[in-house]
Amino acid sequence: MATADDYQVLEELGSGSFGIVYKAIEKATGDLVAIKHIDLEGSDDDIREIQQEISLLATCSSDYVTRYKASFVRNTKLWIVMEFLGGGSCLDLLRPGPMEEMYIAIILRELLMALSYLHETGKIHRDIKAANVLLSDNGRVKIADFGVAAQLTNIKSQRLTFVGTPFWMAPEVIQEHGYDYKADIWSLGITAMEMALGEPPRSDIHPMKVLFLIPKEKPPRLEGNKWSKELKDFVARCLNKEAEQRPSAKALLKHPFIRKAGPTDRLRELISKVRHFESRGHESDRDLRYYEETLRPMNGVHMDDEDEDEWVFDTIRPHATMKKHTIKRRRLERIPSGDAANGELDDATLALREMSLENAPLGGISNSPGLQTPSRMPSTIRTPKTRQSSGQRKISAQMARKISGHVVGSPSPVTRKMSRQISGQTPTAVRRASRQMSGATPTARRISSQQPQPKQPLGVDMSFGNGTSTVRQFKRVSSGQPAKKLLAAGDDSIDENPHDSDAENHPPPTRDQPPAQPAVAATKEAILGRRSYAKCVDPAFQEVSTNTADSKKQAAISKVAEAWSELDQIDPEGELLLLKAILDRIQADPKLTGALLPQRAASTQLQSLRTASPTKKGSIRVATAEIAGSSPQPLTPSKNRRGSELPLAGSPSPTKSPTKLVLNPQNPHLKMMRSSQALQEAQVQQKAVAQKPTKEKDLLDEKMPGKQPEPGMEHVSLLADVLYGRWTEGLKARWPMS
Amino acid sequence: MAFLFARNKQRSAQELVKSTKELLQRLIRGDGPPQKVEEDLARNISQMKITLQGTPDIEASPQAVFDLVSHAVSESLLPLLVENIHRLPFEARKDIQAVVSTVFRFRNQGSVSNEPDALNHVLHKQPEIIISLCNGYEKKESASSCGGILKEILRYDAVAAVILYDEPSSDGRTVDIFNDVDVTRRSSGNGVFWKFFTWIDKSSFEVSADAFDCFRLILTKHKALVSQYITTNFDMFFTKYNDILIKSDSYVTKRQSLKLLGEILLDRQFYEVMTRYVDSGENLKLIMWQLKDDRRMVQYEGFHVFKIFAANPNKSYEVSKFLVMNKQRLLRFLPRFLEERTDDDQFNDEKAWLVKAIGNLPDSTSALKPPNGSVSGSADAIQQQQHQTAQARS
Repeated sequence: MATADDYQVLEELGSGSFGIVYKAIEKATGDLVAIKHIDLEGSDDDIREIQQEISLLATCSSDYVTRYKASFVRNTKLWIVMEFLGGGSCLDLLRPGPMEEMYIAIILRELLMALSYLHETGKIHRDIKAANVLLSDNGRVKIADFGVAAQLTNIKSQRLTFVGTPFWMAPEVIQEHGYDYKADIWSLGITAMEMALGEPPRSDIHPMKVLFLIPKEKPPRLEGNKWSKELKDFVARCLNKEAEQRPSAKALLKHPFIRKAGPTDRLRELISKVRHFESRGHESDRDLRYYEETLRPMNGVHMDDEDEDEWVFDTIRPHATMKKHTIKRRRLERIPSGDAANGELDDATLALREMSLENAPLGGISNSPGLQTPSRMPSTIRTPKTRQSSGQRKISAQMARKISGHVVGSPSPVTRKMSRQISGQTPTAVRRASRQMSGATPTARRISSQQPQPKQPLGVDMSFGNGTSTVRQFKRVSSGQPAKKLLAAGDDSIDENPHDSDAENHPPPTRDQPPAQPAVAATKEAILGRRSYAKCVDPAFQEVSTNTADSKKQAAISKVAEAWSELDQIDPEGELLLLKAILDRIQADPKLTGALLPQRAASTQLQSLRTASPTKKGSIRVATAEIAGSSPQPLTPSKNRRGSELPLAGSPSPTKSPTKLVLNPQNPHLKMMRSSQALQEAQVQQKAVAQKPTKEKDLLDEKMPGKQPEPGMEHVSLLADVLYGRWTEGLKARWPMS
Repeated sequence: MAFLFARNKQRSAQELVKSTKELLQRLIRGDGPPQKVEEDLARNISQMKITLQGTPDIEASPQAVFDLVSHAVSESLLPLLVENIHRLPFEARKDIQAVVSTVFRFRNQGSVSNEPDALNHVLHKQPEIIISLCNGYEKKESASSCGGILKEILRYDAVAAVILYDEPSSDGRTVDIFNDVDVTRRSSGNGVFWKFFTWIDKSSFEVSADAFDCFRLILTKHKALVSQYITTNFDMFFTKYNDILIKSDSYVTKRQSLKLLGEILLDRQFYEVMTRYVDSGENLKLIMWQLKDDRRMVQYEGFHVFKIFAANPNKSYEVSKFLVMNKQRLLRFLPRFLEERTDDDQFNDEKAWLVKAIGNLPDSTSALKPPNGSVSGSADAIQQQQHQTAQARS
């Protein structure tokens, strides 16, 4: 059985929606391999789908198909080991421009060999295109990416599932009348055109529209004197709308254009040309990122202080529990502290992080809803406490995805996620899905919520720690109704939950226990409210209180704390509203932001740290400029996808690939661009706000700690500093390099 | 390729089968240079595949198919092929899968039997081939091909029945499910079905996942049959299921088996199984520990089982006791459980409902009636509850 110990993992080769691909050495043989890591925790989907892809790959044994070596699970990650191909993809070879016919013929011949192998063994690839054709260093051509491939039980059986990449899809696949292996021949014809033209036909048209055109219009042709008669004829034979009349792969191997093709060695010239082309500065700078073992299981955490209570099954342990509760109660008398007795540091860190949500490089919520930067998946964050904020982050990520769906047009139909999604469904369902995709209707959300959580593609990690989320997680607290609704909720809960089943473990209630019954936190807002209290407010009060020497001052703080705790008990939703209001106002005021949320600066630093490349080090602006300057690396979805499969160290390229129309919403550069736009906007906005300070803000200025400590409140200014200090310490611990 | 000509077909099909059989026997005996034998075999099998399926360019002729199928069946070629599949090279193994699958799919015109004719014949006369297919999971060379054949024929109840009611016998004969099966008799636990637990647990990722897939098909595609079987063998089944699958060290096995458990328990056909399962405090404990697993998807799948315990209106004393003892803990735990699933309305509704339901439990175990005799209550209520939950989930 293969295990992770059999491989020495080297640098990252690329990443896509389905995982990260690393280069590695197989220790036993010294061979280079490409290993795809798929985090199984990242998706609700059945593991079966991934399994199917593996089993399909595992039943291929051909020199024309990327060779599968092994797969195994380590922790929650699935490792898929494949042969390493160093020559890049066929799409990479198109980077300097269209290909000469001599090369096209060789590649097509090899592809036909691959297809004839696949078809004879009852497989349909269903996604033939330049991006899915890989080359080895010495020019061997292999088909890769079996993400949507099908195994037919009978060579004559047909398929209905709507999958593939629009520009390359055969009419019968789009029409869902049933199709067979001949669909691959059509895609091969389009790929031939792609190589001759540098991009597939109709690449200037939106992929959704292309789906209508392909069955309706005449099949595309290569026209003009630029190309030989043989190539034009080859293309015409492949692109026959009648699937039955398309020749099989085997028959096409006898086509004159193919017969005159030279040996594969000649492709080496092409590969080295492209390398040369890249080395002349066309290479987009790319961060070399090394594999890093996840040090701790990521979500091992979930539990903090009180959660560490294990379930009790045997006996009630009066002593232990009693003691704990007593301690809590006693604390309660001083300051209502909930259960933050332990783990203050973590709580503090968290509190900070929550605060820092405000601090995202994008400004106010209302102004830049579409420009949110989805933050990185919790799975990649190596801190045990991420869950605290990950929920909120994810909302924004999801929202961003939704929104970018609106902005960009539609979630790219090319991404693997989507095609997988589609492949799993019945034709009708697929129709629905695609309509949703294109319409970006509210229902599109359904889709996105079902999708496997995408991994962050290649690029700058902007998300560590305080990342990029904003307050928008408080999305649904409407202004008018909540009071009524909350009251109602409160009432209900009094009726329904008058008891305390741990009563037997409690000491008799203390006299000054708040009279209110705790409301059951049933809504999302209420849960968030509760959390904000447990994680931020309460520990903050405690902290301040312990730092206060003067007993009068302390008493004053305790009163506020008590009042807040009561609020938390009765109306967690209101609590959340209050917090949000406060935070909004803090953020609106640049001075306060500077004083209270000093991590903004730090967060910018962080980003540049993650960006190993020196060119990007200064600021995000640089990167933005690159994007704006149109694309040293507009990772198109297809590129991403290829990246996920692709065992080569090639860098993302300025493709002319038509898929550039549909930038993957997850595209880091898109995100980066959005976020820096948002940042700029936010800055502008802040300036504007700063120029006309309102009375309210003056009031706030006075009240808020940090800036002008008024008598008796000096300690509060320490709070931010202390918290910030801890936060950076935590950072250092996790990230020795920084 | 003489066999493609109509005149020679009869003889060719017969010869092909005969020579394949001979070659297989030579391979087993180690008679002759193994490489040569393997090559010849591979060529024969590939030829059979082409005869049965045709190629992308040539259609298979129905007459040739009929001849080959009838000879393969009458000469008992298939068991031999399956048993020795691991001895053959890579492509030949896939060809065997194609050949066997195609034969099993063969149906005479106008045939009305439940199963295709060839399969039907095999189930009556050579049921041991089904057992051999299962045993393919023993070796990683044979797992994928045998699994592929099995999964395809598992749509037929009779195939599942052969697997479920298999018992080792002194004469090596496989149980004839059409005549001598007593569904109320407990399984010895030594039949092939129980080996799936081991295969899932002990094999490499690929084999384990394939075996689990098959196991899932057996359990979910033949509900009437399986619910009867599990009811009869309840303790053994769930002891193994809990100890081997749910407590598995493998993330994939654990997650998949929790999910499958949730699916089974929420299925109306498994109503009786469900009520027995959720009556047990031990089961509840196990599932509650899964809620505290450090992997989110394990927590999530665990939740969908846990909710059934909590939703059951006729909880056993033991289950109530455990829930009550942990009431406050649950009320603290659940609101923060998998909070990041903000987009999963379904889940959040169920969670909110659970919080409410647990809040309504008594505070102290003293309020519970200790078990004395009849626990029978309104079974309908549970069913309704369960049905609602099921609907809610779907």
